[in-house]
Amino acid sequence: MKNILIRIACLIVMIVSFIAFLAKTPAFPIASENLLPWSVWFTISVIVNMVLWYPVMKLVTFSLGVIWFYAFIAALVPDTSTATGPVTELDWSDPDAVVEIGASIFKTKGQCAACHTLDTSAPKGRCPDLTDIGVISDNRVAGLDAKAYLIESLYDPGKFLVPGYGKIMPEVWKKPIELTKLEIAAVIAFLQSQGGEIDPEPFDEPIDRANIETTAAALPPLLTGNPDAGRKVFIDEACISCHVVKGVENPKAGEANEDFEVVTAPELTEIAAFNEVRYLEESILKPHEQIVSGYGTAKIKANGITYEGTIVSQDEEKVVIKTKAADGTETEHTILFSDFDEEPVDEEDIVNLQENGFFTLTITPIDSDTPISGEIVEETTDTVTLKVGDETKSFSKTDLKMMMTLTIFDVGETIGEYVSGTMDDNEIVLMVDGSEEVFDTFDVEDAVKAVGSGKRLFVRSPMPDNFQDTLTVKKMADLIAFLSTLTGTTEEESTEDTDQSDSSDPSEQPTE
Amino acid sequence: MRCCSPDTLKRMYFILAVMLFGIVLFAVIPAFAQDVTDEEYRPFPMIGSRNAAWIAAQLHLLFGSFILGVPMFAVIIEFIGWKTKDERYDRMAHEFIKLCMGAFSTTALLGGVLVFILVWCYPKVMNKLSGIFGPTMIFYVVLFFGETFTLYIYYYGWDKMQGRFKWIHLVLGVMLNLWGTAIMFVSNTWLTYQTSPATQFKKLSDETKEAWIESVLTQNPEMTRAEVLEDITANSVIPLHNEAGDFLANVWEAVNNFTWMPVNIHRLIGNIAFGGSIVAAYAAFRFLVAKTEEDKSHYDWMGYNGNFIALCGLIPLPFAGYWLGREIYMFNNTMGINMMGNLFSWLFIIQAVMIGVLFIGANYYLWSGMGRIEGAEIYARYRPYMIATIVICVAIWMTPRTLSTISTASELSAMGGSNHPHLGFFGLMSAKNTVVNIVILTTFLSFLFYRRSGKTPTVGWKKIGNIIISIIFFFGVVTIVVIGIVGFSKTLPDGYRVNILTPWQVMVALAVMVFVTIIDIFMYRKSTMAGTIKWGEMTERSQYVLILLAITFTSLMGLMGYARSGLREGWHIFGVQRDSSVDAFTPSLSSAVNMVAIIMVIFFALVGFIFWLGLWGEKKKQQVVPIEATADSDD
Repeated sequence: MKNILIRIACLIVMIVSFIAFLAKTPAFPIASENLLPWSVWFTISVIVNMVLWYPVMKLVTFSLGVIWFYAFIAALVPDTSTATGPVTELDWSDPDAVVEIGASIFKTKGQCAACHTLDTSAPKGRCPDLTDIGVISDNRVAGLDAKAYLIESLYDPGKFLVPGYGKIMPEVWKKPIELTKLEIAAVIAFLQSQGGEIDPEPFDEPIDRANIETTAAALPPLLTGNPDAGRKVFIDEACISCHVVKGVENPKAGEANEDFEVVTAPELTEIAAFNEVRYLEESILKPHEQIVSGYGTAKIKANGITYEGTIVSQDEEKVVIKTKAADGTETEHTILFSDFDEEPVDEEDIVNLQENGFFTLTITPIDSDTPISGEIVEETTDTVTLKVGDETKSFSKTDLKMMMTLTIFDVGETIGEYVSGTMDDNEIVLMVDGSEEVFDTFDVEDAVKAVGSGKRLFVRSPMPDNFQDTLTVKKMADLIAFLSTLTGTTEEESTEDTDQSDSSDPSEQPTE
Repeated sequence: MRCCSPDTLKRMYFILAVMLFGIVLFAVIPAFAQDVTDEEYRPFPMIGSRNAAWIAAQLHLLFGSFILGVPMFAVIIEFIGWKTKDERYDRMAHEFIKLCMGAFSTTALLGGVLVFILVWCYPKVMNKLSGIFGPTMIFYVVLFFGETFTLYIYYYGWDKMQGRFKWIHLVLGVMLNLWGTAIMFVSNTWLTYQTSPATQFKKLSDETKEAWIESVLTQNPEMTRAEVLEDITANSVIPLHNEAGDFLANVWEAVNNFTWMPVNIHRLIGNIAFGGSIVAAYAAFRFLVAKTEEDKSHYDWMGYNGNFIALCGLIPLPFAGYWLGREIYMFNNTMGINMMGNLFSWLFIIQAVMIGVLFIGANYYLWSGMGRIEGAEIYARYRPYMIATIVICVAIWMTPRTLSTISTASELSAMGGSNHPHLGFFGLMSAKNTVVNIVILTTFLSFLFYRRSGKTPTVGWKKIGNIIISIIFFFGVVTIVVIGIVGFSKTLPDGYRVNILTPWQVMVALAVMVFVTIIDIFMYRKSTMAGTIKWGEMTERSQYVLILLAITFTSLMGLMGYARSGLREGWHIFGVQRDSSVDAFTPSLSSAVNMVAIIMVIFFALVGFIFWLGLWGEKKKQQVVPIEATADSDD
């Protein structure tokens, strides 16, 4: 009788502690958030039941024990819920609470933590590490304070790309992430809290949510091209010489190409799986706009040497460039930005310095005789702000002295303020060190007129940028239609389609 | 008191199932009283809609897996019995199908409950899905009838179709599997579409043209139909969904989505493993309660076969899972990253624990089984090394990628980051893929030893054969490790690890298994037996291991079901139809596993009930027969 009572008591304890554990009820007899109290009750009762009961009850006990074991393990790992709850208002009087909401959205619904890290020691992720982003964002783009920069980055992530990272971040206000304005505000507060100060000022969204569903721009494009014809354009226009698409053979593979340099370009087999049609269109018409990491080319002058090749990587201090010798040997060079040589800034470059790759500038204002050098921190159409020593100074782009760099045989370069003359004249006059000097053009090897000089890293895509002129509208539409079918999973299907029919609907031809 | 016959019991079970259905209906009567016009959601009383749908769906899936998996190997075992004329196989296959019969009604009942809950609680979602998949749903019903009738004929015709009609019976068995597989493929389209709705572009066909025009006109009211038509040519290509979420293509485009075929294959193999493990658990249960040596012997043999089948399914399962994971990345890169590197990364640590338990348990069972074979002792000396290998590999597999979320600031500072300075690299995929393949090869080696136990090869080249097998194993493992080490290189091009190295590791592991099996078969073709296999002489511990494996398989299915559904996060149909219900979030891993635990308890209670029903029916049958025999003799 006593034995039966012990058995039944242990059975009850086991079932109660099992349910209590799963229901996460407060521990008994001592209140604790620890997992152990109910676990201890459960474990003891399981052991006793396994000893005292008959085979069938032993089996039940054992089964319950195994089920509990996995629940116990799962309770030990970090909480991964995306249950942020709807954000209906943000209490800015309690910034820590706003930051907490932002942190939660950052990790869950916003999916930011899928690519961004907050740990400088972590391996390089798909997107930049955001440690101290609250401070960094304040200086990243000239003219934008931290909040403005973060707003731009969240609503239009392709606008200011950190060097070395591709255009892969989705617009978080759009499907499928679809953050609300309040949620974005909370995320911004969280990001600002990373080393910076939280700015509770409300902001206007740079988008029109109310009309986004009904505007024509929001509609996915109707592609009027023929993918099969586009495939032919892809081959005929020699895209295939550099870009690989699995299932599409290059008829001139292995042949020498004298028309242009064949380079290694990104594989396009799955290009439409990850990119919108608008991106495909932009990549053809404006190939320099957004260059896939590791495929940009540049010409760098540093320490008197010119390097021309592919940019492998870059960070805030240095750039790694891969050059190719005539015999095909490839060499990687690591060059510090501080070692870059200054290049002339002509009248065209000065209009948009940063877009043309300049990151430092040496200029002589019209009311000064002393050249001023500094890092470009801000730029508008009319002005440029330089960081000179610890100060920042702004200059008008139109009120600068025109400089000329003369390369004189057997002497070298001489820089001075331009006064008069060209290479077509007999002499060129420059103001050097406060006095006019006359140079005989017979002695001058080269003369470059510029409004200043600066260090530049001008990364370009090796892809031709004249497709707008060379491709007809029809060919362009066909090419985009072809590229938009490259999702990486249907190459067999598309091969079949091409082989069987030119005009039939591929959807009627199942792949199986 | 005269007790009911087994048939009466089955009828009682059916009535009980209907009553259960009635209770569910009764429970949701308050919900019916609500206004149903234009509602997106209707709450399920007490436990909430999501929990109700979760429980019903998971239970339906578990029973469904069982009744789809078991007939696959039952028909093969029946075929073996027919060809070898060994009646034991026929009896075992019959017993497998008998288990299916009870589970079949439960599956259908749970399916009905699930549909009811979905239609009632999620009317707009179901409206959308049925709008797209209407034709497939009709097809599903036809298939369901086909499967039901085939199963009835197959089961009840078992005894009638012995002898010269056996081949017809086998054809019926094959048909049963075809119906079942087709049913699974069709229902998979609905759920895979929810996770990865077709997003690719297709040519605008006549049937989709109107939908597209309507869509443009709705979103651009200022446009005229003529203006829209101007933009359309014979070769226009459109996306399959517009931004309003309307599906613009035909049903095949929705069916043939990114994850459909990988899920089909993964489930097909998974059903075999799951079915095998449940059958083995049933045999273990029968073994433990068996009163006679004959019963013990039979259920020991049945448990061994069930476990063997489960292992056959388990070994290729990681490869199919890998394909599914890759397709998820292909569909949506962020979803893939969320799965492996962010939201669900810890889930895969728990998965590693469970798969580790499966492999350790399966190996332990094989080693225990060698105890009943005379002459198997010679392989005992290898066990410590194999245990060590498996335990080390499983430990590596369980290493988390990052410790940032579970470490304190001081711990992170001491480690110099979120990765452990010495063990952190075990958290990388290259290390995990390497150890998975080694665990699979070790398990294969265990099976090889089991197969060889008590046998002595008679071929003259047995020494050379063993040397060749050892060399194949050695170089296989070395190659897998070397590939794994290469995978750590930071200079590898994008995709090289995923597309080249991992498939190569898999190919090497498969090649080792294929070549060794071929050599071993020829080597032991005319071998002599040192003794006999003493079926029934197994430890009770080994039977508990079979139960452990079945529970672990079931937990794993529940866990991965949570992952597959949870990946959608706040969407009913990812990127197409947003979940705006109170449950529009992915629950924490702990909450999900607790829910899986509750489902498991219900599932095993139901399975236990079905097993008990079968056992009770058998007892009554055994009692009824002697009584009738006695009565006859009295006459």
